[in-house]
Amino acid sequence: MNAIATGSSVYPGILGFMPKVMVSMPDDLLAKVDAEADRAGTSRSAVLRGFAEAAIQQRRTDRARAMKEIIDEFAAPRGGENVAELVKALRPKP
Amino acid sequence: MNDTLLLDASAILAALKTDEPQHEAAVGLLTDEALTLSTLELARYEVVNVAVCGWRKPELVTASLGVLERIANDGGILAPSDVHLTRAAELAALHGISVYDAAYAAVTGRRLVSCDERDLVSKGLAVLPADARSN
Repeated sequence: MNAIATGSSVYPGILGFMPKVMVSMPDDLLAKVDAEADRAGTSRSAVLRGFAEAAIQQRRTDRARAMKEIIDEFAAPRGGENVAELVKALRPKP
Repeated sequence: MNDTLLLDASAILAALKTDEPQHEAAVGLLTDEALTLSTLELARYEVVNVAVCGWRKPELVTASLGVLERIANDGGILAPSDVHLTRAAELAALHGISVYDAAYAAVTGRRLVSCDERDLVSKGLAVLPADARSN
């Protein structure tokens, strides 16, 4: 296994290159994170990484779905000049 | 790879105009679950302005604001700071473009996507929607 020694501990190689951050949270939320780590048999850091990934992906998925609905309903031929030139033409003139 | 894109108003509007050359590519970006999308506060005005004053379709205002709201909830709608506008002014002077266009290009850390070939893409300040995923 590709591993890196840090002090007296040995971590999988990739962890050695992850930035370390300090996160503040209330005791009750930390207890829930720790309970989740216990349940999954993993570390507090791994749980928080998983939550962050899931939250970002959920946000992207929600956006993509909503965009598709809007575009399907409202996209149409508009004619005229291309959008970049139209944006410029409609800006305030000095 | 940084998978956060900054869309200017033209890239957003292209998704709502099916006879735009970059329409399909713009739709592809807006509906891509692997990307995080952001834009500038300026885009709110420019997108709604085109819907109302350019296309004469006030009924598109709600849809346009819906698109922008989804971007706000994804990568965010960035408000300009003095530092950002100073950088935009420098870019505008350097490239002979408007501060409006330069404002998008002045954002750092996010790839700018635009349909503006004349002032942004041709100067290497942005990429077309069709090229946004290439390195």
